[in-house]
Amino acid sequence: MPMRLRVTLAAVIVTLFMWSALFAFQRGRRGGFREYEEELVTPADAGEKTEWAFARLKYPSPRYWNWTTDYPKADRQFVQGVRRLTRLHTRSVEQVVDVDSDEIYNWPWIYAVEVGRWDLTDPQCERVRDYLLRGGFLMVDDFHGTQEWAGFMASMSRIFPDRPIVELENNNQIFHVLYDLDERFQIPGTAALYSGQTYEKDGVIPRWRAIMDDKGRVMVAICHNMDLGDAWEHADNPRYPEKATSLAYRIAINYIIYSMSH
Amino acid sequence: MFELLFKYPASLFSKGQFVFLAGWPLWALGVCLAVAAIALAYPFWREHRAHTDTLSGVRSAGLWLLQTLLVTVLLFILWHPALSVATLRPQQNIVAVVVDDSKSMAFQESGGTRKDQVLQALNSGVLKNLEKKFQVRLYRAGAALERIEKPEQLTASAPSTNLGENLKQVAGEASSLPVGAVVLLSDGSDNSGGIDLATINEIRRQRIPVHTVGFGREKLAKDIEISGADLPARTLADSRVSAILTFHQNGYSGRKARISVKDGAKTLATQEVTLKGDGVEQTESLAFNAGTAGARNVQVSVDTQDGEENLLNNVVNRLISVEGGKPRVLYIEGEPRWEFKFIRRAIELDRSLLLSTMLRTTQNKIYRQGGAANENVDGFPAKVEELFGYQGLVIGSVEANYFTVSQQELIRQFVDRRGGGVLFLGGRFALSEGGVGKSPLADLVPTILPEKKDTFHRDPANVELTGAGRDSLLCRIEDNPDRNVERWKKLPYLANFQEPGTPKPGAVVLAEMSPGGRGKMPLLVTQNYGRGRSALFASAGSWRWQMTQPLGDTSHEMFWQQMLRWLVSGTYGHVVASTTKSVFSDEKKIHLRAEVRDKAYLPSTDVRVEARIMGPSGTAESVELRPEPTSEGVYVADWTAEKPGSYVVEVLAKRGEEESGRDVITFRREDGVAENFHVQQNRELLEKLSSQTGGKYYEPSQIGKLSDEISYSEAGITSRETRDLWDMPILFLFALMLRSSEWLLRRKWGVV
Repeated sequence: MPMRLRVTLAAVIVTLFMWSALFAFQRGRRGGFREYEEELVTPADAGEKTEWAFARLKYPSPRYWNWTTDYPKADRQFVQGVRRLTRLHTRSVEQVVDVDSDEIYNWPWIYAVEVGRWDLTDPQCERVRDYLLRGGFLMVDDFHGTQEWAGFMASMSRIFPDRPIVELENNNQIFHVLYDLDERFQIPGTAALYSGQTYEKDGVIPRWRAIMDDKGRVMVAICHNMDLGDAWEHADNPRYPEKATSLAYRIAINYIIYSMSH
Repeated sequence: MFELLFKYPASLFSKGQFVFLAGWPLWALGVCLAVAAIALAYPFWREHRAHTDTLSGVRSAGLWLLQTLLVTVLLFILWHPALSVATLRPQQNIVAVVVDDSKSMAFQESGGTRKDQVLQALNSGVLKNLEKKFQVRLYRAGAALERIEKPEQLTASAPSTNLGENLKQVAGEASSLPVGAVVLLSDGSDNSGGIDLATINEIRRQRIPVHTVGFGREKLAKDIEISGADLPARTLADSRVSAILTFHQNGYSGRKARISVKDGAKTLATQEVTLKGDGVEQTESLAFNAGTAGARNVQVSVDTQDGEENLLNNVVNRLISVEGGKPRVLYIEGEPRWEFKFIRRAIELDRSLLLSTMLRTTQNKIYRQGGAANENVDGFPAKVEELFGYQGLVIGSVEANYFTVSQQELIRQFVDRRGGGVLFLGGRFALSEGGVGKSPLADLVPTILPEKKDTFHRDPANVELTGAGRDSLLCRIEDNPDRNVERWKKLPYLANFQEPGTPKPGAVVLAEMSPGGRGKMPLLVTQNYGRGRSALFASAGSWRWQMTQPLGDTSHEMFWQQMLRWLVSGTYGHVVASTTKSVFSDEKKIHLRAEVRDKAYLPSTDVRVEARIMGPSGTAESVELRPEPTSEGVYVADWTAEKPGSYVVEVLAKRGEEESGRDVITFRREDGVAENFHVQQNRELLEKLSSQTGGKYYEPSQIGKLSDEISYSEAGITSRETRDLWDMPILFLFALMLRSSEWLLRRKWGVV
């Protein structure tokens, strides 16, 4: 091999190595994978100790990154809304919580995205069940259609084999605890929106579902056939409808306040 | 011995007055003494000059002193010393012989019962000797005094002993009869609460000496006896109630015994304890569930042991009124937080409390839960009738100035006048952070809050109970007190804490927290304030006790349920009725008291108060309570409960036809039970009684002296007699000793 080619190859290898190291550093910073390449500046108050933080569940799935969807921009843009609209003491940055860790018990509200692809082990199912029965609250979002519902249920039915999934009625307090949300509509993901429709796959009708505890309180709030995460993430995107973002904020804020009062 | 040397008993010297009968003036005695002393000094001075080698100055002075003392004794005899003493005139005075005829006198001693011992003592000649000098009246003493003709009429069956009342009756007879002395034969086991000062004073005023003869052992060799059992007179349904049992034992030190609380045949709580040393008072507590509403008669007991001499003093009955009403608690929270959620969840499980909550979700929105649809729709209560409708108030992370000035005063009055309970929680806007320390609410906080900001920290803090917390039912999340302390130590750390400042005088610290590197500081502090109570829980992080402990652990729920029950305990309605005791042992007289307040909880003076009393066997009676002149809003009545058993009293206050309020209380009357307790001789009481009245305590073996010594009394019909003292053997012995001493000293010094 000519000398010049060997030097070029070595330079490429070194560059690739340094790039990988930088990538790995960013990925490990909050324990997660960034969906977007654009650099987000860490807020000055990121280390503030608060009552509540946006806890994102890190779970196993065939494609490793499913749990990181919209992360972290959606989380951070959403908490700005929580700070502005409520008296809840909120951290400016999210908290990644591994489903394998007992740390989950320190975060009584937790968000899981793209749960149509989650694939929990039995010990993980047991931990999530224990977490919910002790008083934890799980909000799941961004999964669409029949196939992803089946994927969601594959793990959820092992978390709660004997608890039914129920449709949340308009009169449920979760839709009135702060905002009255009788008139809800499908919150589209960006991919669907750009294609000119609000749904993905065969998930035409948005479903507001839940799993209740023995006292009739919502333990698992299921946002099926909608994508609140995208609505938060693209709150600053002029092409994304403000109306959908606004509703997405209100729904999630209601869910948080509900989880802190019921 | 005393009588041998001094000719008369000591009691005569204590009662008599010392006099000289010679008729010569006392100053002449002094002059004679001085002359004799001087006269005796001269020969000793000469003798000293003559024998300076053997008789030094000091030795001469010693011999002079011995001779002077001898002359003094002789002069003292010459002046004819005597005692002037009041003596009962023969056959003109009555001696009241009062014999305890209660059930405790049937207690078995060696050689028969105590009653047998009394009969033996009286029939051994004591009565006959007394009858030679006095008119003797024989009485038997029980709940009342009754005259009997002969000792054989004693039965030892009276259900109670009331020595004070018995002596009062004797003193009453003495006002019209010449009672010269009282002889009381008893074991001293009075169960009416002792002899009151008024009775003692009346006896002393009449100068009647009460001579006491004590029967029975002063200590049983093998026995366990309950000294007391404290239980709340009233409690909420399903409440956790603590029975504080105090007992002592002899002969079973170190042995295991089982203590229990039972409701009939149903055991409510039981626990094994190790018995402490002989005679040592031991206190144990048993926690149990009060159960459903209604009057509950519970038995608190210590299991009997092999060979116990008294098996009837191991159990006591207590009556608890379990109230069915649901006290209302208002919880206002200034921001969404986990503590709010988990406290709500804990109280939702409590069927005896109604919790209404107000949560400030945004700056101008309040989310209301738990109350009626129109409850507090306009915000935090601003009127007396709104706030005083609650029994408890919890103030979370709320700035003081969120409340108007009048609301702050209303909260203070809620505790002070209404008698409500208020609990302050730590938080981002609470206590010092929210300016509470500089507001009228500061009075209610049981600590002096720090005068600085940044007192709320989201850092972990471990918790543990204080000594007071160990004993408090509020902190009881485990029945056994020792295990409870350990369980508190093992609780997960609090998620946050707030610097609470220093506890105020009178406040009680029940639990402490230890944030890393900051030492210990109070976590849970309580205090009484006016008619109510207040508490501080200086954290908002106890939710971790629920989230980080295994599913099924009830520490968090139990603590908060008990915390809020404590908050409303003692917060009553417009009428608060009471009796002096919940169990009346051998007492019929019941004192009823009702405190009546109007809608604003100010004393009501214009109401008609009536008590409807339902007794055993379906008896019912109405009694009107009269206003107590010295206490505004207080109404009282005295009533006699004729039959033993359980009574329910409903007290109703009316203004015209309008009902102002009502209250229901219970009490129990029982006869003969108290006699089973304190069966050992109470010598202390008998000795005290005799010494305070000028009498003397005798053991049964000394009773023979009674008839002679009893004559010296200033009560009844007396004459003044003088008793010569010049011929007391002690004087002659003393003189002989002085003379012998001089002779011996002279022999020793060689100056004979």
